[in-house]
Amino acid sequence: MSTKLEVKNVSYEYSPNTPFAASALTDVSCAFEAGMITGLIGHTGSGKSTLVQMLNGLLRPVSGQILLDGRDIWENPKQLSRVRYRVGLVFQYPEYQLFEETVSADIAYGPKNMGLDGAEIDARVREAAEFVGLEADLLDKSPFELSGGQKRRVAIAGILAMRPEVLVLDEPAAGLDPIGRETIFDAVRAYQQAREATVIIVSHSMEDMAKYAERLVVMSESRVILAGTPDEIFRRADLLCSIGLDVPQITRTMMRLSELGLPCRTDIFTIEAAKEEILRLWGKERENA
Amino acid sequence: MTDPYLQIENLSFSYPAQGEGEAAPVLHGLNLQIERGSFVAVLGRNGSGKSTLAKLLGMILTPTSGKIRMGGKEITDPALTEDELFALRAGVGMVFQNPDNQLVATIVEEDIAFGPENLGLAPEQIRARVDSALDTVGMRAYAKHAPHQLSGGQKQRIAIAGVIAMRPECILFDESTAMLDPTGRAEVMQTVLALNKEGITEIFITHNMNEAVLADRVLVMDEGRIVLDGTPKEVFAQADTLRGCGLGVPQVTELFEVLRQQGLPVGEPVISEEEGAERLYALLNQ
Repeated sequence: MSTKLEVKNVSYEYSPNTPFAASALTDVSCAFEAGMITGLIGHTGSGKSTLVQMLNGLLRPVSGQILLDGRDIWENPKQLSRVRYRVGLVFQYPEYQLFEETVSADIAYGPKNMGLDGAEIDARVREAAEFVGLEADLLDKSPFELSGGQKRRVAIAGILAMRPEVLVLDEPAAGLDPIGRETIFDAVRAYQQAREATVIIVSHSMEDMAKYAERLVVMSESRVILAGTPDEIFRRADLLCSIGLDVPQITRTMMRLSELGLPCRTDIFTIEAAKEEILRLWGKERENA
Repeated sequence: MTDPYLQIENLSFSYPAQGEGEAAPVLHGLNLQIERGSFVAVLGRNGSGKSTLAKLLGMILTPTSGKIRMGGKEITDPALTEDELFALRAGVGMVFQNPDNQLVATIVEEDIAFGPENLGLAPEQIRARVDSALDTVGMRAYAKHAPHQLSGGQKQRIAIAGVIAMRPECILFDESTAMLDPTGRAEVMQTVLALNKEGITEIFITHNMNEAVLADRVLVMDEGRIVLDGTPKEVFAQADTLRGCGLGVPQVTELFEVLRQQGLPVGEPVISEEEGAERLYALLNQ
């Protein structure tokens, strides 16, 4: 395992030197492993979105460093646009940012700014559209003729077309129905696997994080308070609930079962794992009977 | 025992044709009756017609054909005057997805007063309504705050307070929890349940299955039609139909389904984690 992106002792304050000064990040350190999907969770106002905007240099730390492949992204501020091609950021509700006349022109906007030639841009637009599952006949339409879920995918494709090494998504599935959520997360995973990209996803859905994230970073009150595998994190249900988060419903069910007095595992956060555990207990019950 | 608040007859709606395209039908001959004081959750994938239905009930859109009666009045009667429509709209509140799009004033209590002021009420009546609405959503302490100082869940409660101050008989929630974190969702759901206890009829559109479980009735829409209608238990027992409509079931419901497929005698479907844990306990502790 190697670290792709590292946040080192970063602090940030909004409206510094005014009576409204508010600390948004306090001495935050965390590492994002190369080629992995890391989930970033925390209540509203915990600092997630501020941290995310640090990762590609939209905000500059008051103190501390953001290291991409070991180098400070602020080492040469004139080169920041290059950092932004390497670290692609998808904001919340990115479909509001579509502006071009056709879907393909919108997706091509990033690659065009990178100075790529026409054939390369074309290839990247098609590749990105394929990752997010947009049919070819949609490419010539106006983005405003599409459904909300399709627009969201166009916006994400616009970032994927820049082939970022690190893909950061802030609540990519907010407001979508269950199938729409799955489509988005599957697209992100397809890109991660095809490009060996490092992915960071901000989400409020513990169920989605349990399903897709390989590592989790937990924020509360402008600090990182926990980091580890979903297994290690969801074990701390009490702590998560105390900071306004939650664990997946399946985990709560197993915890309740254990409270009722049945000795069972409670470090379970997917339906598959719950099924295995119940079948194991059922087998034991059968033996004793 | 039927005391219908809402009666929908053969309701259809199409958005008007754009350019050379044809008119896109969204709702197809919907029939529906909703009891006064009930709490009805509406599920359906994006584009299934849920929000269009909500906008028709909130009198933001008018139907292409069909009738809607609400609280004994036909709201789709073409002979209604502007004034009559205004009065009818005051009886139906709407709470939308994004709290930041719904708050208009710079101070919480002024925002809540916006509706009653437009009703032309006396200042003391407005004051009383604002205070009581703030109490109902548990936000009295924030009366003098600016909306941007509040969390998402708090902002949605202020949006709800603004609706309550109009004293509506019915509130339509259109994905009002979609943008909130788990605490914010819980706050809003508590408020929704408390208002229903006070007798307000609620129609609650959501993508969150765990919220729909709290309703007394669940409607599932797909392609402009109602495809399932029943108690949460009855509806979530139809896991395959739900999946066909692009929806899912709560995790605990799905667990029981896979255990049944494995041949375990798990019995009827469950929808809550409490009931699920109890049933598993009984099963594994015979």
